[in-house]
Amino acid sequence: MAKTKQEKLDLKAEKQYYKTHKKKQKLTVGDVIFNILNYAFFGIFTISCIFPFYYLFINTISDNSLVRIGAINFIPKGIHFQNYLSLLNAGEILDAFLVSASRTVIGTALMVVVSALAGYLMTKQEMWHRKIWYRFLVITMYFNAGLVPTYLNFLMLGLTENYLVYIIPAIVQPYNIILVKTYIESIPAELEESAFIDGASHMKIFRNIIWPLSKPILATIAIFGAVGHWNSFMDSILYMSGTPELQTLQHRLYIYLNQTTSLANIMQGGVSSSQAASAMASVMDAKTIKYTISMVTVIPILAVYPFMQRYFEKGIMLGAVKG
Amino acid sequence: MKKKKVQGNGWTDKVYYVTRFGTILGLMMMFFPAANPGYVCNLINKNLSLFTTAISYDSLTTQAMRPLDKGWVDKSSFIMLMVAAAIVCLGILLGAVAGCMSVGNLKLKRISNWFGLAGSVVMGGGMVIMYKAYEKFGGSSRPDKVYNILPNGMYIFTALAVVLVVANIVIILFQPRPEKGEQCEIKTPMKLFLMFVPIIAFVFVFSYLPLWGWRYAFFDYKAGETLTMDKFVGFKWFTFLFQNEATRGDIMRVLKNTLIMSGLGIATSWVPMAFAIFLTEIRCGWFRRIVQTFTTIPNFISWVLVYAIAFAIFSTEGFVNNFLTDITGTAHTTNYLLGESGTWFKMLAWGMWKGTGWSAIIYISGISGIDQQLYEAATVDGAGRFQKMWHITVPGLIPTFCVLLLMSVANILSNGMDQYLVFENAKNAVDIEVLDLYVYKIGIGKGLVPLSTVVGMVKTLVSVTLLFLANGVSKAIRGESIM
Repeated sequence: MAKTKQEKLDLKAEKQYYKTHKKKQKLTVGDVIFNILNYAFFGIFTISCIFPFYYLFINTISDNSLVRIGAINFIPKGIHFQNYLSLLNAGEILDAFLVSASRTVIGTALMVVVSALAGYLMTKQEMWHRKIWYRFLVITMYFNAGLVPTYLNFLMLGLTENYLVYIIPAIVQPYNIILVKTYIESIPAELEESAFIDGASHMKIFRNIIWPLSKPILATIAIFGAVGHWNSFMDSILYMSGTPELQTLQHRLYIYLNQTTSLANIMQGGVSSSQAASAMASVMDAKTIKYTISMVTVIPILAVYPFMQRYFEKGIMLGAVKG
Repeated sequence: MKKKKVQGNGWTDKVYYVTRFGTILGLMMMFFPAANPGYVCNLINKNLSLFTTAISYDSLTTQAMRPLDKGWVDKSSFIMLMVAAAIVCLGILLGAVAGCMSVGNLKLKRISNWFGLAGSVVMGGGMVIMYKAYEKFGGSSRPDKVYNILPNGMYIFTALAVVLVVANIVIILFQPRPEKGEQCEIKTPMKLFLMFVPIIAFVFVFSYLPLWGWRYAFFDYKAGETLTMDKFVGFKWFTFLFQNEATRGDIMRVLKNTLIMSGLGIATSWVPMAFAIFLTEIRCGWFRRIVQTFTTIPNFISWVLVYAIAFAIFSTEGFVNNFLTDITGTAHTTNYLLGESGTWFKMLAWGMWKGTGWSAIIYISGISGIDQQLYEAATVDGAGRFQKMWHITVPGLIPTFCVLLLMSVANILSNGMDQYLVFENAKNAVDIEVLDLYVYKIGIGKGLVPLSTVVGMVKTLVSVTLLFLANGVSKAIRGESIM
C-alpha cells in the first residue's frame, strides 16, 4: 500500500532529526560508554521480548525425549513437527481453534462495517437529534455496569453458553465509531456534496465515497478488533463454562496450563483411530502439550504482526489524538 | 366518499405516538423475563423471555423433561406455546416496521397503517393462541405437579394488542388522504435517524440495560431466584461491606492490592518515556527498527500467553532451571511462579515487559515532532547529550505524559483482572487479588450476586468521579479536556 502524505512527512521529520544529531562526529569517552550501555540495554530487552517465543518454538519441534529432560535451551535437536500434527488431530484443540478463528473473522467484519456506517451517520449534522444520540453513545465509554450485572443481562438475553455472545455484544464499539467519525470529518466535504448534488443517496455516498476513502482507519480498527477477538478469553471463561466445545483457544490454553494430569487423555481421545498416532501421542508429555498449544495460539499473532505493524502504530497515535 | 384535503397531517399524527410507544414497549418486553406471557405454568423457566420462548424449544422445556416423559403434559402444548410466542413476536416486529415507516410522508404513513393494523391483529391472535395453550396446560392429568399460572405478561400483552388495534383503526379512519401523485418518501433527518436506530438499540441493550441489574444491590438475592419486593433490603449490603468483619478485611486487603499495583504502575509511568528518549539516541537505523518491532510484540499477546511464557521460562521444568542446572551441574528445580514474596513487583515486571515497548511508540513520535532548531541551538551553546535530553526532549514530551498520567489516575481502581487471574495460585492468592478479580470471585464463583454488584457499583461510581476530577485538573492546567 502506498504511504500517505502524513506518513511521508513523519518519515521526513525523523530523517531530519537524525541528520541534525549526526553532525557531532567526534565521540568522547563518555559517549562511547553511553552508547555501549544503551545498546546493551536495548539489546537485552529486545532479546527478553523475543527469546521466550523462540524457546517455546524450539521445544515444540525438538525431540520430545530431549525436551522432557530439559536439554533444549538454545538449539533445537532432532527436529520434527509431529507435535503439531497430533495436536491438530486432537478434536478439542481444532474445535477451539475454529471457534477462535471464526469469531475473529465474523466479529471483526461486522464490527468494522457497523463502525464505518455509524461513524458516517454521526457526521451528518442534519440527523434528527444527532447530538443526543452522539452523547448517548459516548457516555457508555465511561461507565460500566460491572461484571455481575452484565452477566445477568446476558443470561436474561439467552446469550450465555451461546456462540453469539462472542459476536453480538462486540459489534457496536463506541470508541471505534468515534475514531471513524473523526476520520471521515477530515475528508473534504466537497466530495460528498458534489455526489449529493448529482443525486446520490446516502447509502450510495457511503459505499462509493466514504468507505473507500476511510480504508486506512478501517484497517486500523479491524486489526485491533481482530487482535482483541483472538486474545479474548474472559468472555469464554464467564459465559462458556458449561459448553466446552464452544470455548476459545485462549480459554483452552488457560485450562491446560492449570492442568497437569488429564492432558494425555486429550491426545488419546483425539487420535485413538490410529494405533501409530496413539503411540506417538503418548510420547508427548504435559509440558510438550502445553508448549505446543501456546505456540498454536501465538503463531497467528506473530504471523500477521510484521505486515500490520504500521497499522498498530497508527492505532496508538489515533488514540492519542483523541485523548 | 371523498374526504376533504387538509393542510399538514391532522391530529392523527398524535395517535402515532401511542402506536410507536406501544411498539417500543412491546419490543422491550419481548426481552424481559418478568413480562413473559408465555410463563403459563411452573414447568417453564422463570428466566425465559418471550423472545427466547419463541425461538428455543430446548430452553423452553429444560425444566419439563420428567413431566414430558411421564405424559403429565403434552409435547403439543409446548409447541403451541412456542408458536403463539413466535406469532406475538412477529406481530410486534410488524408494528416496528410500521413505526419506522410512519415517520415518512402521508403516502408512506398510509401504507404503514396497514402494517401496523396487521401487526396488532397478528399480536392479538398470538395472544389468543397463547391463552389456549394456557388452558391446555390447565387440562393436565396431574394438576398438582403442573401448576397453571396466568402471568402478568398475559394481561399486559393483551392490553397492548387491543390498544394498538384501536389506535391503528382510528388512524386509518381519520387520516387525511395524500395528494394525488405523491411519492413515498422520508425526510432526510428521519431517514438518517432510522439508519442509526439499530445502533441505538444495540447500545441500549448491551450498555444501558445492564444498569438495570444494579437493582440486585438492594435485594436479598441468590443466583437463580426471582426478585420479589419482599426481598427488598435497602442499603443492607452497603453497610454489610463495612460491618461484617470478614468482608471488611477482604475489602481492605483487596483495595490495598489494587492501589499498590496501580500505584506502582503510575510510579513507573515515566519508563516508556525514558525508553523512547534513549532509543532515539541510538544512531543505527536497523537496530532501532528491530528493537521497536520486537518490543511491541508482547503487547499483542493475551495474558494467558504471557502466563504460558512465564511457565515456559520460570516453572520447575522451565528454561531458567534447565539453564542453571546445565551451568552449575547441580539440579535446580525452583518454581519461581509459586513464590510468595514480591508478588506486586512481579506483576509490575510482567506488566512492564508487556507494555513498555508499546507505550514508548507515542513518545517516539512525540520526539520526532520536536522542533530540530532547538537541538541545533543547544548544540551551538555547548549543551551535552543529557542536557539536551533534559531541557529539550523531556519538556517536549511532558504534555503527552500528563494526559496519560491523568488517565491512569482515573483508572486507578480498574487494573483489569486478566493478568491477576492467570498468574494467581495458592501461594500468591492473598497479594494478587485486585478489586476486579474479587468481584469476579464473589459474584461468579461464590454466587453472592448482591455483594458483588455493590462492589462493582461503588467502583464504577468512584471511577467516573475520578475521571471527572482528572478532566477538571487537565482543564485547569492545560486548558484541554482529556475526554
